[in-house]
Amino acid sequence: MPHFTKQFTNGAPIITAVLKVTQARADALTAANQPIPPMQRMTALVDSGASCTCVDPTIIQALGLSPTGSTLMFTPSTGAQGHTTDQFDASLQIYCTMEQAPLEIPVIGVVASELRVQGIDALIGRDVLKFCLFDYNGASGFFTLAF
Amino acid sequence: MALEKELETFKSKLPEWKGSEGKFALIHGTDVVNTFTSYEDAIKEGYARFKLEPFLVKQIQAIEQVQFVTRFVAPTRVPTV
Repeated sequence: MPHFTKQFTNGAPIITAVLKVTQARADALTAANQPIPPMQRMTALVDSGASCTCVDPTIIQALGLSPTGSTLMFTPSTGAQGHTTDQFDASLQIYCTMEQAPLEIPVIGVVASELRVQGIDALIGRDVLKFCLFDYNGASGFFTLAF
Repeated sequence: MALEKELETFKSKLPEWKGSEGKFALIHGTDVVNTFTSYEDAIKEGYARFKLEPFLVKQIQAIEQVQFVTRFVAPTRVPTV
């Protein structure tokens, strides 16, 4: 089982992840003679308190994504009413090392949230963690992600 | 809000989909193309049929599953081309 153990960054489980357009969208772009946007490297926080994966809007814009979904979202900032927000299809990769096959989710729905102000580009939510074993060792200051 | 017409279509068709709960509906404008067992299949078919035109993929649920994020983040609208 590919896995890696890393020390916390600023007290948090931070990883590097890659987001790119799905193969289906890449094919559609090619058919329309449009360039395929380059994949985006992200500093991502593994967040078991997030039910879905959230990405900073600058990443969404860099990939030129258009909404293909909609979801109702509750955060401390939305209050009890929640907020209906757009969902974007994308492809997510998380690497252990360059020698090992990454965790690849070919098509995942992500939502846009302002995260750069918090020093990160993405929250890796439970929609990704459902494919993983996530060990958070607060006492030692290390975490392990296996998939 | 993007995909307004598609979301209206989804809501209007929801009562007819009682036997399809859990599947993913693919909608283009007012047309329901089909339902799929996986999100990935619905997205693939959406791009195959409609290329870069707007389309909606949404899971059929009697009670919509909401997303929770405990971190202080604000859902953001992304300007699209």
